[in-house]
Amino acid sequence: MAPRADGRSVSEMRSLTGIFERLDRVDGSASFGFGETKALASVSGPIEVRLAVEQPSKATFEVTLRPLSGIPGTESKSLSASLRSVLAPSLILTRNPRTLVQLVFQSLTPSHSTHSPFYPSLVASFINASTLALLSVGSVPMSGVVCAVAVARIRSSDLNTSQPAPTLTLVLDPTEDESLASEGGGCFAFIFASDPADAGTGVVAKLVWTDWKAAKGTFDEGELSRATQLAKVGAERVREKMKDSVRSLDGSSDTSTTLKAEDNQKEAMEVEEDVDDAKMEI
Amino acid sequence: MAETKTDNLKAQIFQRLHPRIYLERFIAENVRPDEREFDDWRDLSVIVGSVSTADGSALVRLGKTTIVCGVKAEIAEPELDRPEEGFLVPNLDLPALCSPKFKPGPPSEEAQVLSDRLNDALIASDVLPLSSLCIQPGKSVWVLYVDATCINYDGNAFDAALIAMVAALKNATIPKATFKEDTGRTLCSRTRTPLSLARLPSAYSFGIFNSTHILADPTSFEEPLLDTTLSVVLDEDGELVSASQVGVAGEDALPTCIARAKQRHQTLGGGKIYLS
Repeated sequence: MAPRADGRSVSEMRSLTGIFERLDRVDGSASFGFGETKALASVSGPIEVRLAVEQPSKATFEVTLRPLSGIPGTESKSLSASLRSVLAPSLILTRNPRTLVQLVFQSLTPSHSTHSPFYPSLVASFINASTLALLSVGSVPMSGVVCAVAVARIRSSDLNTSQPAPTLTLVLDPTEDESLASEGGGCFAFIFASDPADAGTGVVAKLVWTDWKAAKGTFDEGELSRATQLAKVGAERVREKMKDSVRSLDGSSDTSTTLKAEDNQKEAMEVEEDVDDAKMEI
Repeated sequence: MAETKTDNLKAQIFQRLHPRIYLERFIAENVRPDEREFDDWRDLSVIVGSVSTADGSALVRLGKTTIVCGVKAEIAEPELDRPEEGFLVPNLDLPALCSPKFKPGPPSEEAQVLSDRLNDALIASDVLPLSSLCIQPGKSVWVLYVDATCINYDGNAFDAALIAMVAALKNATIPKATFKEDTGRTLCSRTRTPLSLARLPSAYSFGIFNSTHILADPTSFEEPLLDTTLSVVLDEDGELVSASQVGVAGEDALPTCIARAKQRHQTLGGGKIYLS
């Protein structure tokens, strides 16, 4: 295996951190980091909704992204719209109609590049931080947890000069510098949930988001499926880390939050059938 | 005659009040409300060079979705950290005139999201090498404003806008420019040269309805009812440039869409849509 600039193997991730922050004025908050790449998310909800965005049959889910510096531009708007669609499948919004669930992200790591401030690993940490924050809130029922990880395509001659023909290598959890030097890549998010149709299988991972692209040249289906498999392994590890974080919260003085979060997940699994019924009523 | 009219009206009211069930009934009969099969596409037409005041232009019709795109070239100073790179500024406008979905005022969220995706498709995948827009490193470069406006919105604006933008860029010519060191000015001659596009991407979008049915080229009626949207961008040779999925789908959904996109690309004659 060709070692990377920081000595990791291609499928090795940086050390993961998942911390439940205790921001006072919001219902739940958490930060998540891949090594130096860290993001903070806060959730409030269900809270009162503005009349203009009120929905009679379900809660409105709003996602706002705040860059570390400056005002939100088109990229933040676009990214928060994508992240909204990524996280929405994990929430059961029909349980609290006519309310608002507000999710706010903040990057905690300065970006070297002004041209693409949101590199894939940062986006992945946004998603993971918000999943942790949603778990800590416990007041919004969930049907699963969304875990994300980034993959980049790197010419292996950059990694290992002894190879005569430079071939593309897929690397898990690229750093910002690796992303900048890469020939494309993307972020993968998976939703881990038990299949309502098949209760016996336990938790399965389903792809909920990808934005795989080649910055130079082209790719084929094989590469995409290899990247997806690699990301799935990474997302599985992220999920393990999240479980640990929830457990560590359990051991601390404030146990209520964890219990609530877990209860809610259980409840969430049960109510899924109700949701289908609600749709049939129309 | 009168009876069919009232039946039509009833169907329209039903569609307005219960859009999901309306679509479900069609899907159950293996057909879509506009008589297409699930993997049928709408007709595509591309007309280039129709706006004489722009440096390059294109008008694209995808079914009823109509998008006009114009390219305007201006001269500017490059950024300090990228002295040899010009600028490519794509923008899509969704004015209130194209659909009742949009309100007058600042760009809607949908317009911003689409503009950003188009920016990604054009710049991040290196369609036009920005270094080819350099006139004099550190002094003077071209800025290409690629402005697209939707005239009629009937869904899948991303595919139509990307085709319009690439066709307009392919149609665009810029004057030969030289930078005079002594006066610090850029002079343009009357001879015009086409842009050197590295690749000609085209987008193919799909939506998944009720987590089972993959609908190609969704209309504005179908779009809000879809749980998952997938977009595949292919270059002129039918090779993959990007693939995206937003929303839950099984493992075979994206490969299926890639195969269908390639098939459609073949039917359209590969990169021939840009040859006109």
